[in-house]
Amino acid sequence: MSSPRRVVVVGGGIAGVTAADALRQNGFDGDLTIVGDERYPAYSRPALSKALLRDPDGLTAHELPPAIHGGTELRGLGAVGLDVDARMVLLDDGGRLAYDGLVIATGCRARRLGEGNEDALDELTLRTIDDAWRLRARVADRPSVVVVGGGPLGMEIASSCVDNGCDVTLVSQGPPLLAQLGRHLSGVFRSAATARGLRVVESAGARLERGDAGTRVVLAEGDVLEAALVVTAIGDRPNVEWLGSSGLLDHGALVADAAGRVCPGIVAAGDVASVPTPHGIRRVPLWSSAIDQARAAAASLLGFEGTSGDHRPYFWTEQFGLSLKAVGHLPLAGEPELVDGDPAEGRMLLRWSSAHDVSDSAVAALNYRIPIPRLRRLCEPAAAG
Amino acid sequence: MRIELDRPRCEGHGLCEEEAPALLHLDDDGELVLDRDEVAEGSPEAVAASAAVRVCPVAALRLA
Repeated sequence: MSSPRRVVVVGGGIAGVTAADALRQNGFDGDLTIVGDERYPAYSRPALSKALLRDPDGLTAHELPPAIHGGTELRGLGAVGLDVDARMVLLDDGGRLAYDGLVIATGCRARRLGEGNEDALDELTLRTIDDAWRLRARVADRPSVVVVGGGPLGMEIASSCVDNGCDVTLVSQGPPLLAQLGRHLSGVFRSAATARGLRVVESAGARLERGDAGTRVVLAEGDVLEAALVVTAIGDRPNVEWLGSSGLLDHGALVADAAGRVCPGIVAAGDVASVPTPHGIRRVPLWSSAIDQARAAAASLLGFEGTSGDHRPYFWTEQFGLSLKAVGHLPLAGEPELVDGDPAEGRMLLRWSSAHDVSDSAVAALNYRIPIPRLRRLCEPAAAG
Repeated sequence: MRIELDRPRCEGHGLCEEEAPALLHLDDDGELVLDRDEVAEGSPEAVAASAAVRVCPVAALRLA
């Protein structure tokens, strides 16, 4: 395949911008255009639910250094279609972008509990910088809050609301964080959260409805939770609708190989892409995975062989006075081994080993300061032996 | 080009060390140490430095 001369990157988030930078670093000197529907330059999404929401002076916590690709960035412009045969991206303003190399990095959006009824409900989510500003402003008045969703994002939002002096109830399907961190760590986080005043309600499911005093949460068991502020964090949906008639989707998923390749001339990276993992083909919506995938995708698009974005994912969360760093594919299932630390003091370095698949081992550091390179080395088969 | 560290922003993740182990590292206390802060523009070191800057989730590094 000849090297492309005109590359279009769809998606202006960290995956898209990293792919653009990586194209240049791999020697691509052709025409480069990055188009994305957000009005802002790429920012750090992990910061939105951490420092930006929690710290009074964390207002710039999400800001990243400028990109180095020197291409054309079209912001506030979304893609609405892709014509693979004509090699053309269709834009929401009626414009078209021709390409001979395409990077798909359109990311995800928040899944909404009140899907289809957005206008009648006051449901906040946290996905974009605009969401974060909105939430920060509402939380400043110290309202009563119900957070729906017991995953890392829901728990981080709940933690920030508690820190801001709000009365907070968290609705979770099963114990919070169980699905991501396993039973042991889930229990540690729940204890820390309730000690700081979080009320946890486990429920089989929840829906939103409009009440007299605003939006309220109705649980599957029939209970009704009222609060001045309802925030949901129930997962995300990949932005693939614009690819609907492209022929690239497989049962609604945009599947790429370990090097980011979708088909000749088209690569994908970041939250939108489903990629091979030890747990099957799935999206890995994490910061460092988006960057790894973007670099691999850029190299693949230029015809370099043997690149792989399949590194062990890095995940971290800060909430309720706890800091957790983990390397490996979530969930952290089964019983961990204590490598170092002191459970009585809450400092722990834990390892999960998989007997049948060494690529599936994981390490987590709880309130234990350790750089990622060391954490990663503990994951390697030699360290586990 | 100069690598600049905004120390108060640094959270000690260490993703930068993975990108540019010849230029910076975290010490035993988890504090980031710049072993070299000048890199020649266009050099392999500059590419590594740029990758280190990009991967930091709290934007504690800059290349100026």
